[in-house]
Amino acid sequence: MDRRSFVKTCAGTAIAAACWRGHPALAAAMADHPPARLVNADGSPLKAADVTTTEALVFAYPYRGIPCFLINLGGRAAHPTALASPEDGDYTSPAGAGPHANLVACVAICMHQLSYPTPDYSAIRYAASGSPLTDAPGLIVCCTHGSVYDPATGAARVAGPAPNALLPARLAWDAESDGLIATGCVGDKFFARFFDAYKSDLIDRFGPGGYRQPVGETAVAIPLSRYSAAVSTC
Amino acid sequence: MTHEIDRRHFLKMSSTVLAAAPAVLATGPAALAAGAAQPASDKQGAPFVSTHRMLDLPKARGPRLVIIGGGTSGLTIAKYAKKAYPKFDVVLVEKRCMYSSCFASNLWYPGIIDLEFLADHSFLDAAHNSDYIYVNATCIGLDRASRTVATNEGDIKYDFLVIAPGISYDYDKIGVHDIDTKVALRQTYPGGFICPTEHVTIHRKVRQFEGGVFIQTVPSGNYRCLPAPYERACLIASVIKHNKLKGKVVVLDANPEITIKAPGFHAAFDELYKGIIEWHPTSAVTGVDVAQRTVHTEFDSYKFDDAAIYPNIRAATLIEELGLMAPPTKSNQKEANIDIRFYNLIGDEHVYVTGDSRPMPYSKSGNTSNSEGHYVAKVLAARAQGKDITWTSPQTLCYSMVDAFPKQAIWVDTYYGYDATKDAITGFKDTKVDNTRSEANGATYLEWAHGLYRDMFKA
Ligand SMILES: Cc1cc2nc3c(=O)[nH]c(=O)nc-3n(C[C@H](O)[C@H](O)[C@H](O)COP(=O)(O)OP(=O)(O)OC[C@H]3O[C@@H](n4cnc5c(N)ncnc54)[C@H](O)[C@@H]3O)c2cc1C
Ligand code: FES
Repeated sequence: MDRRSFVKTCAGTAIAAACWRGHPALAAAMADHPPARLVNADGSPLKAADVTTTEALVFAYPYRGIPCFLINLGGRAAHPTALASPEDGDYTSPAGAGPHANLVACVAICMHQLSYPTPDYSAIRYAASGSPLTDAPGLIVCCTHGSVYDPATGAARVAGPAPNALLPARLAWDAESDGLIATGCVGDKFFARFFDAYKSDLIDRFGPGGYRQPVGETAVAIPLSRYSAAVSTC
Repeated sequence: MTHEIDRRHFLKMSSTVLAAAPAVLATGPAALAAGAAQPASDKQGAPFVSTHRMLDLPKARGPRLVIIGGGTSGLTIAKYAKKAYPKFDVVLVEKRCMYSSCFASNLWYPGIIDLEFLADHSFLDAAHNSDYIYVNATCIGLDRASRTVATNEGDIKYDFLVIAPGISYDYDKIGVHDIDTKVALRQTYPGGFICPTEHVTIHRKVRQFEGGVFIQTVPSGNYRCLPAPYERACLIASVIKHNKLKGKVVVLDANPEITIKAPGFHAAFDELYKGIIEWHPTSAVTGVDVAQRTVHTEFDSYKFDDAAIYPNIRAATLIEELGLMAPPTKSNQKEANIDIRFYNLIGDEHVYVTGDSRPMPYSKSGNTSNSEGHYVAKVLAARAQGKDITWTSPQTLCYSMVDAFPKQAIWVDTYYGYDATKDAITGFKDTKVDNTRSEANGATYLEWAHGLYRDMFKA
């Protein structure tokens, strides 16, 4: 949904939180966070050249309990897109990073009913070669209730019950080392709701408060098929 | 063979007859024998039952939206109406003081989930998280002229009222008219499609089943959760198989074909449960002899060691008690007389009926009630502000676990069409289905349910 139609939806049906709470649409929702260099499981820096096109990589950012997808769009370009989050306001999704400007990142938590990848299981994935839910390849699908997002347009909603786009994370590319650095994201208000919804699980996994801690200077990025023991196939 | 032909022949005839019959069944001798003093239609305009005192509630801080029923529909609407229009002062009236979900309850029987999965969700937390008031009370009356709804704890004035009480069983439609048999069936062989205590009983039955015949019936009509009785048959069969019991599940199906996801269920019956599940189509129950543990159908009688008798269903009796029932020409399951797009009672934009008490031909499922609830919340917000709203279809995404060892599921996902020229819902639209059972689908099923719980109980 672009900004114009978002505003129209607000006026017509008053669904979005920005409208519910009487805020005018918030500007500049992309927030800077301490940078974190993406690294492989063995701690070596992840190179842009090594990011696969067949599935998403998962890394935590900006907090230990927030999973993000790193996606290589291959031959497709990333189009900066004007979007809005009901909680965190208006933003424009970042351009692609890397030598071919085809690397994008987004928060891997479904905006419908908050499914996200855990070490046991993920219902949400980047379906590089397509999925039963959609004919088109290269979309993010959440099998839980069938939401579909397009990573090439800021992970905007394409189909299904999700009310809005997956939230973006911003990447910088270091040409010299071919490294990738996460530098910011949209979602501080959303993260508070997510933490609240999963508090018991997150405490079990990260210890009290652990999920709210910043990731630190590096963030491990590994393919979803290794991050989660089982991944939905819808 | 001739037996088979007879059945098919019978079915052909009966499909036309049945289409016309429900009105007669609902108000005819069956209802009278069941103790109903009058034909149901006379309830319209029933006298207002009231406690003659107001329920203790803080003064309304905005238009008061009262919601009756804290099931899938009511919980979703309470949360999202408040989000869509924060000025609403929302009060949720629910007769239960402990939540436990109907959807996913079949998964408890073979031990795929525990009771906590279904029940570890608090009405108090839901109300706290979404800034509304939960009242543990039972709705007993309605006076639309003074916009007052009565509960056993006192009366409440409303600006907008949503009634979402779910379903009740209709034993008369399976030929059980005498009170003694109805009570015996409710108590000893419950359907397991309304109340958590029924689930506890069926759980006990499955865990204690040592062999023999377990009968699961499938009613006709638009019953709650079309695939659930077949799913339950599969899951009981998987326990029989896993525990190497000498037993079988006899499925007595009122319908000529499995009503949904038929290829997926047939594959499970044939490939996983050959000799364990016996499926009898066009076998509507016509009576039950509880003492003899025998179910009668038009053509045969079946003895059982244990059973879950799922009778036909109707809208919750509350709809009839409050005089909100649609005429039999519009609903043969005593559902509410509402606008099929905007859910308000015909002629009253202050009262709405949602969830499984609706008359529309939607699948009566949790996902339908949840997605419909998101939309009805917007309808209420629009109406409170004097705005218009465009109709959107509910979504029915429904998983069925066909095996427990390992857990494997199939699914169907559909929306519905609306024909403005006929003002009618035209059936399924944008339907996707996966009839190939898999463990990946099994895992997603659990996540599907978690998603609904989060949507109803978290901020
Ligand atoms: C065994 C089983 C399996 C199912 N499987 C699935 C599935 O796999 N997928 C799926 O999508 N759906 C499934 N469902 C269906 C789903 O649970 C229902 O369709 C859905 O919950 C309907 O929502 P509702 O709000 O209309 O009714 P309910 O959830 O039944 O809620 C009605 C509420 O109203 C309350 N109430 C009634 N009368 C009063 C009164 N007078 N005053 C106050 N409160 C009152 C009741 O206590 C209840 O809490 C299943 C159901 C069952 C029973
Ligand atoms: S949680 Fe992803 S579609 Fe519902």
